[in-house]
Amino acid sequence: MATVDRREFLKSLGLVGAGTVLTSGDAEASATATADNLTWDKAPCRYCGTGCGVEVGVADGKVQAVRGDEKSPVNRGLLCVKGYHLPGMLYGTDRLLYPLKRKADGSGFERISWDEALDLVASKYQEALDEHGPEAVGIYGSGQWTVFDGYAALKWIKGGMRSNNIDPNARLCMASAVMGFVTQFQSDEPMGCYDDFEAGDDFILWGNNMAEMHPVLFSRMLEAKRQRPTVRIIDLAVRRTPTSEYADLYVEFKPGTDLALANGILHLLVKNNKVRRSFIEENVVFRRGIEDVETIGYGCFGDQSERYTFKDAAKESSFEEFAKFLEAYTPAKVSEITGVPESQIKALAEIYGDSGRGTVSLWCMGVNQHTRGTWMNNLLNNLHLVTGKISRPGANPFSLTGQPSACGTAREVGTLSNRLPADMVVMKEEHRAKTEKIWGLPEGTIPPKPGYHAVDMFRAFTRGDLKALWVQVTNPWVTMPNLQRFQRKPGDGRFLVVSDIYPTPTTDVADLILPSAAWVEREGVFGNTERRTQQWNKMVEPPGEAREDAWQIMEVAKRMGMGKLFPWPENDWHEAMYEEYRSFTVGVGKDVASYAQLKQVPGLRWPVVDGRETRYRYAAGEDPYVTKPSGVHFYKAKGYGEKAAVWLRPYHPPAEVPDDEYPLWLTTGRVLEHWHTGSMTRRVKQLHQAVPEAYVEINRADATKLGVQRGERVRVVSRRGSVELPVRIDDRGRPPQGMVFVPFFDENRLVNVLTLDALDNISKEPDYKKCAVRVERLEASP
Amino acid sequence: MSGRTLGILRLASIALAVFAATSQISCSDSTDTQESPQEFEVDGQTVVKASAEARAARRAFDGAPPVIPHTPQGSDCTRCHDHDGMEIPGMGFAPPLPHGQTAGMSEFANCRQCHVFRSTDEVFQDSEFVGLAQDFRQGDRHFDGAPPVMPHSAFMRENCQACHTGPSAREQIRCSHPERINCTQCHVEDTSDSTFVRPGT
Repeated sequence: MATVDRREFLKSLGLVGAGTVLTSGDAEASATATADNLTWDKAPCRYCGTGCGVEVGVADGKVQAVRGDEKSPVNRGLLCVKGYHLPGMLYGTDRLLYPLKRKADGSGFERISWDEALDLVASKYQEALDEHGPEAVGIYGSGQWTVFDGYAALKWIKGGMRSNNIDPNARLCMASAVMGFVTQFQSDEPMGCYDDFEAGDDFILWGNNMAEMHPVLFSRMLEAKRQRPTVRIIDLAVRRTPTSEYADLYVEFKPGTDLALANGILHLLVKNNKVRRSFIEENVVFRRGIEDVETIGYGCFGDQSERYTFKDAAKESSFEEFAKFLEAYTPAKVSEITGVPESQIKALAEIYGDSGRGTVSLWCMGVNQHTRGTWMNNLLNNLHLVTGKISRPGANPFSLTGQPSACGTAREVGTLSNRLPADMVVMKEEHRAKTEKIWGLPEGTIPPKPGYHAVDMFRAFTRGDLKALWVQVTNPWVTMPNLQRFQRKPGDGRFLVVSDIYPTPTTDVADLILPSAAWVEREGVFGNTERRTQQWNKMVEPPGEAREDAWQIMEVAKRMGMGKLFPWPENDWHEAMYEEYRSFTVGVGKDVASYAQLKQVPGLRWPVVDGRETRYRYAAGEDPYVTKPSGVHFYKAKGYGEKAAVWLRPYHPPAEVPDDEYPLWLTTGRVLEHWHTGSMTRRVKQLHQAVPEAYVEINRADATKLGVQRGERVRVVSRRGSVELPVRIDDRGRPPQGMVFVPFFDENRLVNVLTLDALDNISKEPDYKKCAVRVERLEASP
Repeated sequence: MSGRTLGILRLASIALAVFAATSQISCSDSTDTQESPQEFEVDGQTVVKASAEARAARRAFDGAPPVIPHTPQGSDCTRCHDHDGMEIPGMGFAPPLPHGQTAGMSEFANCRQCHVFRSTDEVFQDSEFVGLAQDFRQGDRHFDGAPPVMPHSAFMRENCQACHTGPSAREQIRCSHPERINCTQCHVEDTSDSTFVRPGT
């Protein structure tokens, strides 16, 4: 639904040139476009999971401008600096334009045709299948995959090749949030939505630098605070960030001790009788899992360092056992573990326990990238379940996502090694049967055993168990933890194909590079953090021979004799594919909006029933699946008698802690200006020039002790590797004594050679936030 | 967070900022194109290109937020870029904040969400991006002498004074009557290309 631009409109009325409406000679006199001869059309932003609506201005076949979409309920016309500079992301001079094959002597790449490239991929996958079986092939995708790309990949690998080796980089990002929601509500994704920013009273940020990572949502929260000065922002963090500057209360805890802090708050809520017993009796069951630290491990030591398959086992528990379990988490004990003063622990318990105020917990990578990230998600959801502050406007646990379609594609389409669309899993026979039926495949096609999760996938590829691997829309040779161990020299007998829009360290080690169409160079659908599905049209042609990722997959599938999986006409398949996917979601409480409706609106939040979206899941009067007149109904949790589960989860220490040899904590993350590995944002002049390289933030006291100055280059060393970085002191982020921070966007200074591949026991998500390092001076003291 | 605290604090911080900035002035001026003004015609009116070019040099395209043309002066931008703007001795005039009815507050409190500093002139890779050019057209007038309509959206530019009055107002768009503070009484936003049509006709 491209809006008719003004000039076209006037032309249609025969008014151009009449000089009565347009001022004479304006646009035509100018070689470049002005606002009025751009064609504007809607799209969601390409970057984070907020899903801001943008209007994209096109002239002469190029994107020349964007503006915030004032009609989008997400951002209401406001963007962040990355969003305002979206157009530049498409036009770096080193865009990948043609398929490139590694030369036989390994000395670089040569251009080949699409036919040759697609034949090569098909033959390599067929060879791996024939010789080693379905466990030897895999595809590693992304939370930036559109719904189309993810659905095509899922169908090809699970339905065509009968392998479950598909995982997205979202495994590195929000898998712990998925497992939190799944273990407690038996359905993924939050019950709340962005309306909570206007409805809530207290916003509690758990390890979440929203001012930089979700700036538009942060601004919505600041605006709510301006309009209602009683609104409070509480920043729980391991280091001061720009977010802390706006907080009413800053609570600093030692890395990994958030588990103890949350249990300490639960302890006080129970002890002071601030829990809502009637709500609990009606809506909550209690569960307890495996708690022995030796049995669980950390996924990176001993045998677990090659394959980590720990499985939790649930047993029934009770409120009484829950209360008894929490007795150990007294304020004194929790204060000792966390470093948080008792007064602050009590203040937090009072905030969560105040039944008169709406409480919203917000979290992202601090909680998810955690060796007990699922547990931490459980504890945050527990805080809301025991106080009944859930599925109500302004009172919800709300996990934020970092990628534009981590929810829409990875989580909803289910492009994970264990999942199928709309909350289904490969382990359940009826789920496989439903999928096979919709896909028109014989019963028993989909294997019941989950494939490799992301980190195990790269471990298997490095070992040689995985023979053919396709990487799309992501950059694992920058983002894998403990990156050293995944070093690759092509010619190792395995086949790596990488689809991307620019050269990256991942394309550098590929055997074949495929050029992809980006963002508005193709038609797409993303799903954002608040369950909002958003569609956009193709607005410009991709450069060179670049093609969309879903097309690449379907063409390979056809060459492997799997074309009947994609039975749609070559030039008109998007809506048909989407509607097939939608049939998985209808009637199960995950109903995404119809394609026809999505084309007309700036997105809708599922479940969408009779064309109407849902703000609050499980809430009477809001969610069409809830039939009771008031309160909540956790209708998806069939296994818990349609109640939510509160899990008893203890504190476990991190996998690696500082010692004499490596005395500092290292924590990693993003910066406002760059998105992920910077493959897009670094090609935008304004963003690169703002933050041109990675750096290490050091506390002033530590810097003084080390004798290092601001701007000086130092070597940061862990047990796994080292990297040289310039020092920043008292800059935008301020770590406490004993901690350093390094952002991960810079492919020239790879911080992941330092990080540890310790994994969450349930979600298998890596912990990028905690390992031990030392800082060495490069030059002798003056 | 407002920065509208004690005047003394404010003055002290400015003094410090200026002290810190004096060594950087030549650097920060480099983004302003200070060549001789080039005049050219748009809609039969003469436009001084240099001032518009200085504006464009800080933006990826017309409508993009400008990068910050000076070095960091402290964390609170609205101390200087308040509703009226401020002359900073040795640096120049800090233009007023164009956003919002109340300077320094509202949705625009987190300035660096959109405005970033420039810490290098290098690029990571060259770019072929060509942004939407600066729009030089003036607003339509009903007849000669009638108040022009706004030729741009007022969204995020609610404080008209920021660009149309005071020392930072470019000559071509400087308002002749800043004492009449209710701008939208006479100047309306051009929000639609449609014309009124009676239902059923």
